[in-house]
Amino acid sequence: MALSGAEGEERACRLLRDLGYLIVARNWRSRFGEIDIIAREGATVVFVEVKARSGQAYGGPAAAIDARKRERIAATAGLFLQETDCDLPARFDVVTFVGDTPRLYRDAFRVG
Amino acid sequence: MFARLTSAAVVGIDASLIEVQCDISGGLPMFQIVGLPEKEVSESRERIRSAIKNAGFSFPVGRVTANLAPADLRKRGVGYDLPIALAILMASEQLPVVSEARPIVGELALDGEVRGVPGVLPLSLAAAESGLPGVIVPRENAAEAALIEAVSAYPIETLAEAAELLRGGIHIAPIESHADELLAQRTDSIEHDIAGVRGQVQAKRALEVAAAGGHNLLFVGPPGAGKSLLARTLPELLPPLSFDEALEVTRIHSIAGLLERGGSLVTGRPFRAPHHTISYAGMVGGGHGVPGPGEISLAHHGVLFLDELPEFDRRVLETLRQPLEDRSILLSRAGVSVRYPASFTLVAAMNPCPCGFLGDGQQPCTCSLADLRRYRKRLSGPFLDRIDLVVDVPRLPVDELFEEREQETSATVRARIAAARRVQWLRLRGEAGRYCNAELSGKDVRRFCKLDGKAVELLKRAVARFGLSARGHVRVLRVARTIADLDACENISSTHIAEALGYRSDRRSTAV
Repeated sequence: MALSGAEGEERACRLLRDLGYLIVARNWRSRFGEIDIIAREGATVVFVEVKARSGQAYGGPAAAIDARKRERIAATAGLFLQETDCDLPARFDVVTFVGDTPRLYRDAFRVG
Repeated sequence: MFARLTSAAVVGIDASLIEVQCDISGGLPMFQIVGLPEKEVSESRERIRSAIKNAGFSFPVGRVTANLAPADLRKRGVGYDLPIALAILMASEQLPVVSEARPIVGELALDGEVRGVPGVLPLSLAAAESGLPGVIVPRENAAEAALIEAVSAYPIETLAEAAELLRGGIHIAPIESHADELLAQRTDSIEHDIAGVRGQVQAKRALEVAAAGGHNLLFVGPPGAGKSLLARTLPELLPPLSFDEALEVTRIHSIAGLLERGGSLVTGRPFRAPHHTISYAGMVGGGHGVPGPGEISLAHHGVLFLDELPEFDRRVLETLRQPLEDRSILLSRAGVSVRYPASFTLVAAMNPCPCGFLGDGQQPCTCSLADLRRYRKRLSGPFLDRIDLVVDVPRLPVDELFEEREQETSATVRARIAAARRVQWLRLRGEAGRYCNAELSGKDVRRFCKLDGKAVELLKRAVARFGLSARGHVRVLRVARTIADLDACENISSTHIAEALGYRSDRRSTAV
């Protein structure tokens, strides 16, 4: 089954709130691309990518998000930190759906 | 947060202490290593990340920067894994920020285990020079690090253990190794005994002369005559390594990563026998970045054996000329130049002709004159000039092969060599870095090589008859000096001269 993008993001937000994340922004756009959810967990800024339409044969978050996508997210995240003048450590998380069960991957990838 | 630790970078045979700094700031999660790291150092990021996680810590979020200072010194190798990981733990407040003076090296496995690295002995020496009391090293390398008496070597097995040590949570007893005991423990047993080679009295005698005077030697003979076996006995005929020599040899082997796991001092003289396809860099040293030691340096204080001498690339052989004179090699590359010691005895072996049967007596030689000329031409005159002794190793006659005569053992020969070396040592006393007859300059030869009347006569006749050059003349005298020393004679007699004349390298070329 396939979850629509908006539906998936909505359910991901719910999951993150349940886990104690504070949602800061959604669908934050820059000229490089878009970040689905920006949240805070304690003193860390978390950029969350939601992969709603991954199928059953899905392997891991690294497989779902290719290098180009990661770069786009990172560039956008960098811009966000700059614009908000934020000096907190940042992290990238990924939420995927297997069937309609959401799964959170903390610290799913890094830039360097 | 910011943290710093000490480590070391190896350049040539020396290590210099460097500072490993780590800073963690906000921003996108990144991990970079700066400070002129070579590729293998940059690659350590993945190992460090996994090791930190698997040792029960967490890799910090945010921007992690590790700097290796001074930034203009090239950093090679995998020894920075451990100090960088520890600096990250301190900067991310998973460890208290302590001031730790002891230099730290070690490679990390993904599970946080600390693995051995090359170049630990130079690190220990650098620590001692800087007056630092200890070093923190992989357990595998601890015995090597402990060879320097002034430095305590703290052995580490895992990242978690190193972290505990820095925190002060555990006490680790330093490893002790006593170099003098290691040297004293050397047994007199001989692995490659000269008694194992049948017959070849003349070649064995030449080997003895070469060992006694430090002369370079060339064996000429058909395949299977025993040239390689004879060469193999030379390291054990030479006097045992002194402590300083052993330390130098160990240092070079340490850098090259050739020490055995958990090994410490190299106590036996090296024997290196590179194949004739060896490259220029393999022979004299080289490689990317900071050049590493080559075979000539690995043979330092030992024997370099070149079998099938004419098969070696001529360019490779020509590069040996300068180190044979200087007893060291200077390797210069863009931005770095390093000097490696290369004081070795050269033993070479070759067939008399391409088919191997020239002068055999039984088997006819099938080579044409042109073949022969081409074969000989592969060795240049200046190169052969540096070989004091050339000796025939003929095929053994059948009766000699089956003869049950008692062969002289290496122990007996070694005693004579040691006595002759002592005479030379007392004469030269290491003045201007000279210890043996092979190192005698033209001036020394005039000073130390006094001939009796009949010897002068013989030498004069030889000069006239063979057209001996000035250099050839000096070479004959040097070898005669060694033969006289073996005889415990103060003056050189005609028999000594006669034997020395028989080892001349230009003797053969006239036959072709």
